[in-house]
Amino acid sequence: MARIPSSGTAPWLGAVLGIVTSAAVGLALLPVRDQVTSATVALILVVVVVGAAIVGGSPAAIATAFAAAITLNFGFIQPYGTLDIADVDRGTEFVAFLAVALLVGQLVSRLVRRRTQVSEASQRVRVLDERVEQLSHERTQLARKATRAEALEQLDVQRAALLRAVSHDLRTPLASIRAVATDLRDDVPYDAETRVELLTTVCDEVDRLDRFVANLLSMSRIDAGVFEPDRQAVDFHELVADRVKQLAPLLRDVNVRIDIPDDTPLLDADYSQLEQVFNNLLANAARHAPAGSEVWIAAIRDDPFLRLEVSDQGAGVQADEVGRIFEPFTRGTGSRSSGIGLAICQSIVESHGGTISVRRTFGGGATFSFTVPVHPSESP
Amino acid sequence: MTTILVVDDEPAILRTLKAGLTARGYEVVTAATGRAALNVLTSQIPDAVVLDLGLGDMDGVDICRAVRAWSEVPIIVLSAEDSEHRKVVALDEGADDYITKPFSMPELLARVRVALRRRGSATDDDDPVLRCGQLHIDLPRHAVTFAGAPVDLTPKEFAMLAALTRYPGRVLTHRTLLHEVWGPGYDTETHYLRVYASQIRKKLGPLGGQMLVSEPGIGYRLLDPSEE
Repeated sequence: MARIPSSGTAPWLGAVLGIVTSAAVGLALLPVRDQVTSATVALILVVVVVGAAIVGGSPAAIATAFAAAITLNFGFIQPYGTLDIADVDRGTEFVAFLAVALLVGQLVSRLVRRRTQVSEASQRVRVLDERVEQLSHERTQLARKATRAEALEQLDVQRAALLRAVSHDLRTPLASIRAVATDLRDDVPYDAETRVELLTTVCDEVDRLDRFVANLLSMSRIDAGVFEPDRQAVDFHELVADRVKQLAPLLRDVNVRIDIPDDTPLLDADYSQLEQVFNNLLANAARHAPAGSEVWIAAIRDDPFLRLEVSDQGAGVQADEVGRIFEPFTRGTGSRSSGIGLAICQSIVESHGGTISVRRTFGGGATFSFTVPVHPSESP
Repeated sequence: MTTILVVDDEPAILRTLKAGLTARGYEVVTAATGRAALNVLTSQIPDAVVLDLGLGDMDGVDICRAVRAWSEVPIIVLSAEDSEHRKVVALDEGADDYITKPFSMPELLARVRVALRRRGSATDDDDPVLRCGQLHIDLPRHAVTFAGAPVDLTPKEFAMLAALTRYPGRVLTHRTLLHEVWGPGYDTETHYLRVYASQIRKKLGPLGGQMLVSEPGIGYRLLDPSEE
């Protein structure tokens, strides 16, 4: 159903409605013309003009004012039925009506126009508001998308680094293993000593692959957020002795010195995770230590922690590497490793509530130092 | 005695190659760093070099480039990376051959033999007739025969085959071949090579055709099947 507008924006409709209504009012009041004064009729007609102004604005108000004036003059100002005006009083009445009707019409239409403008303006403001809101929403979404793209890119970079590391750290031991295996298959007249040396190389490289796979597994657990230490009382003497024995082939070219006081307390740690920290730190030390140099393992009480240290006499850590050496896939200058071992050490130590750091060993080399909580049974 | 320098920062590889090569009667010198390798190469030129590209202290490619300033010693590049690009760069910088880790010992030994043979034959540079197995190329007369039968080649085909025959067994990178045959400005038009290699294979016949070996992504080499 079409609504009659009340915004003064339909001049034709307003004019037609105004004129027709004026005429209708005139006709309706004709039978009672003698019981009402012309002022009453004029008042009603002014209302019609106001209506026309509301609907059709100024032009409709003017048209209706004239129509109303004619209706008033024709039907209600003597002599009736003509447009003549009998006397000055009637003439004044007619002119006054027309003036009032025009004036009221103009005032109302102006008010209506103002109101329309205000509502239009507020409409525009609302539209702008909505647009702003939409834009900010879009912006948020774009920002979110950008963040996600960045995160994905970061993930891609990480994945590429991981693949490179995996391919390097898997292939390198495989290269030696394959070379030895294909060589021995050929019935080369090796002396017993060389044969043993070659087979030892294979065993060493298999151990290395095993350590790498353990690291990969740990890394995937860390990534999946399921890397909670299974804490128990750990005898550090026992753990170190066992590690040094297990890693003997790796440490064959260096002298291992263990400097752990007898009264070293039990640790509150996940045994196999702590083993992995030592595997990585000792493999790292063995890789960087020159043949014949020393690798120290030391423990210092630092309540409520025990501070554990692994030092080597290798090339040491560059000052600019200290900050990022524990980041995954960071390789030190001249390093051959993938750079996930130390990252895993850090994850393990931190999951135990400890910290890990590296510094230059006095006289060169690197010292890795980390803290592990002392078992509650040992607290004074 | 034939001396081979093995350069790798992996002690296990050094041990393995040293044992394997020593058992075949070669004298082996090892170097674990680029610096140590250059020290050896400046004092005593070995008969061949096996060089890992991923050294800790230096890029193997830089060593290739440096060595070529004073020596033509055959260099076989070892690479653990999949990236063909690095091998190609090394070959362009003067390496003779490459082998990807993990490799088999017989494969490496074969490459070493090819490299040593090349070094032995590199001296007769003035010989106007190039030979590789049954393939003979008479440079001044622009005549090619395979197993005694003349082979009719276009000038570009002739140039490509001659370039490969000059270094039998050695990989020539796409870039090197394009540069040699077509001249500068054609360095990326590897599809030319595919077309010409296919033409040459057809003209050499089934037996001769298989001598022209394509190394995907790297280049071509001419192999004498009777030698392998």
